[in-house]
Amino acid sequence: MPTMEVDGQMVSWEGKKTILQACNDANVPIPHYCYHAGLSIVASCRICLVEMESPDPKDPAKMVKLPKLTPSCQTPAVDRMKVTSKSPKAVANQKAVMEFLLINHPLDCPVCDQAGECYLQDYSFNYGRAESRFEEDKIKNPKKDIGLHVLLYSDRCILCTRCVRFTREISGSGELAVFGRGAREEIDVFPGKTVDNPLSANVIDICPVGALLDKDFLFSQRVWFLKSAASISPISSGGENIFIHHNHGRIYRIKPRFNADVNKWWISDEARYTWQFVHENRLHACHRMQYGSFVETSWERAYAQTTEDLQKAVRDNGPGSTAAVLSPFASTEEMFLHAKFARSIDPQAWLAVTPPRIDGQDQVFKNPATGAVTFTIRAEKAPNRRGAEKITAHFGGNACALEELAEKIKNKKVMAVLASADPLPGMDKPVLAAIGAAPTLIALTSRHTGLYEKAGLSMPTCTWAEKAGVYENCDGRIQAFQQAIDPLENCRSDGRIFWDLLAHEGTHSAAAVRHEMAAAGLADYANVAIPQVEKPLEVMEFSAL
Amino acid sequence: MKPEDIIELQPPKLGPMENIFVPAILAGLGTTIMHLFKSVGGNTRTMQYPEERREDMPVLEGGMDIQKYRGVHRLNRDEQGRVKCVACYMCATACPAHCIHIVGDAAPWADREKYPIKFDIDELRCIYCGMCEEACPVDAIELTYEYDIVGLTRQEMVFDKEKLLAMYDKTAARKPM
Repeated sequence: MPTMEVDGQMVSWEGKKTILQACNDANVPIPHYCYHAGLSIVASCRICLVEMESPDPKDPAKMVKLPKLTPSCQTPAVDRMKVTSKSPKAVANQKAVMEFLLINHPLDCPVCDQAGECYLQDYSFNYGRAESRFEEDKIKNPKKDIGLHVLLYSDRCILCTRCVRFTREISGSGELAVFGRGAREEIDVFPGKTVDNPLSANVIDICPVGALLDKDFLFSQRVWFLKSAASISPISSGGENIFIHHNHGRIYRIKPRFNADVNKWWISDEARYTWQFVHENRLHACHRMQYGSFVETSWERAYAQTTEDLQKAVRDNGPGSTAAVLSPFASTEEMFLHAKFARSIDPQAWLAVTPPRIDGQDQVFKNPATGAVTFTIRAEKAPNRRGAEKITAHFGGNACALEELAEKIKNKKVMAVLASADPLPGMDKPVLAAIGAAPTLIALTSRHTGLYEKAGLSMPTCTWAEKAGVYENCDGRIQAFQQAIDPLENCRSDGRIFWDLLAHEGTHSAAAVRHEMAAAGLADYANVAIPQVEKPLEVMEFSAL
Repeated sequence: MKPEDIIELQPPKLGPMENIFVPAILAGLGTTIMHLFKSVGGNTRTMQYPEERREDMPVLEGGMDIQKYRGVHRLNRDEQGRVKCVACYMCATACPAHCIHIVGDAAPWADREKYPIKFDIDELRCIYCGMCEEACPVDAIELTYEYDIVGLTRQEMVFDKEKLLAMYDKTAARKPM
């Protein structure tokens, strides 16, 4: 393995890497703004300049020292190289770069949303100087609305061109460019264009300073208050890895989590902004229909009634007269318990899966220059259809599509349905049309959905942010997600409800259910890697590099 | 901790006179009696509160230093009379008692980016340490010389933005910004 010496530390790497990449992998810090692992290298910010000595190609025993500073992000790492980012020359350069970058920076950290996760703040502290020698007036640029989700504060910009490269190389839409020259150089959109591609909000994440900010998150919370939970996108079947940033039981934003095999550094805007439903229209009590109106009821009575209603249907109409409708929004563990409970009451209970919404075709993004696929937004809008199918296949026996179930309900073959509802607005229409007519309808729903209106008994459940579990994405990858916030008042997760209904001993946890699943023959679930958040708030890149 | 870091302290040895304590008790009693006689002549350190107040006395005679006293908070106003606070949450971050609750929003003014739409300080929870004052980057929050605040409910003692601005109006004359 080739090895080089960086600031007295030995750094080894494999394959072809630049000095900065090798150092980042080995956790040896070298400051950088414009370098991003997911984008092309331009070496424009100049803060990563280092002094280096490398072996002479003609006489490998001799070391040649380069007279000038070299950009470490762009220079390939060579075996036996000696790099220093702490020599007087390199430090003088870092200080000079910081001073230049801060010449026109408004220093409005108190009102800037980036404060707390800002490269300028960190590097100013680590590599900069305390005071500015600039006495002239700073250039002031008003903020500009450049897209659906993005605000541009030009005067905070350091022209690292990460956003420009993102729109050119990843989203392929190229709305952003550098305009002007010299001191008047600035990032802007082309006239008449807006940054509204389906990946647009990623430019906010990659912006190392507060020049591109999220309209949705603007002024809503300071970042150092946020706690982070590693999760999986609840909307896309691609299983994009995300961080949920939350505080005091409230979600504030969603950021991408690096996963080289799934979403790399990016997430779609849809995944980023689909969390409002967690705090909207939530149910906080069990309701049962009594003489045509909804009455609040306790969890104990709801549990008793669930078992009683299903048993009654089996008693009156024989086995095979009940059905369980699994939601592709539930975790696999929950579906397992759901199916297990349904079969424990009625051994021939029908299992059906709500078909997820399909939005046209998969959206594939390509780098226009190379033609390489950079990102795919899946058309299937549910995180766990695969898991549902796996559970249905595991239990075997009576299983049918939702349309067939509707037919059976119409023909009075199935009398009682225990359905887990999809949490997202408007997504439960097909389910409702299919099973709304069932004489006994028990719904597990987190929100005021159509299913809640029709159900004879409804129980308030948790959204994905309030529970842990695993989702299986469209490529069959089983990914675990952490619980971010506590269940809202009086809500219980599907898994907890079925755990109680099945009278399992001990406390419900996703891990305990996975253990049970593995024992039941679903070997894939024996050892699922649980994502960990080590730092209180992880800026996407630091975790990625 | 290493063993050599441990210093064992022994109490000083007491002599026979110190061991019976009587001289020390008498000396202490003497001080008390001295003050008793001093107060008879009207030369007293007792203050007739609330007719007499420390903030009206010179500092050298035991009065309050109005510029430095850490009493109830106020929110300063800028030259145009608007709240000076920019809702940066620095005070809420620095607060060891977690008694400051801010909600920020985009400012309605062209020259300002952000301002607090809600700024609550729970004066009962506050420990009057002055960290908020020190953390503030725009000198918007300050502690005043007011200390005798009363309320009939706990909710009344949560001072909102209007109350804190009113406190500025009340105290600005004696304690300029």
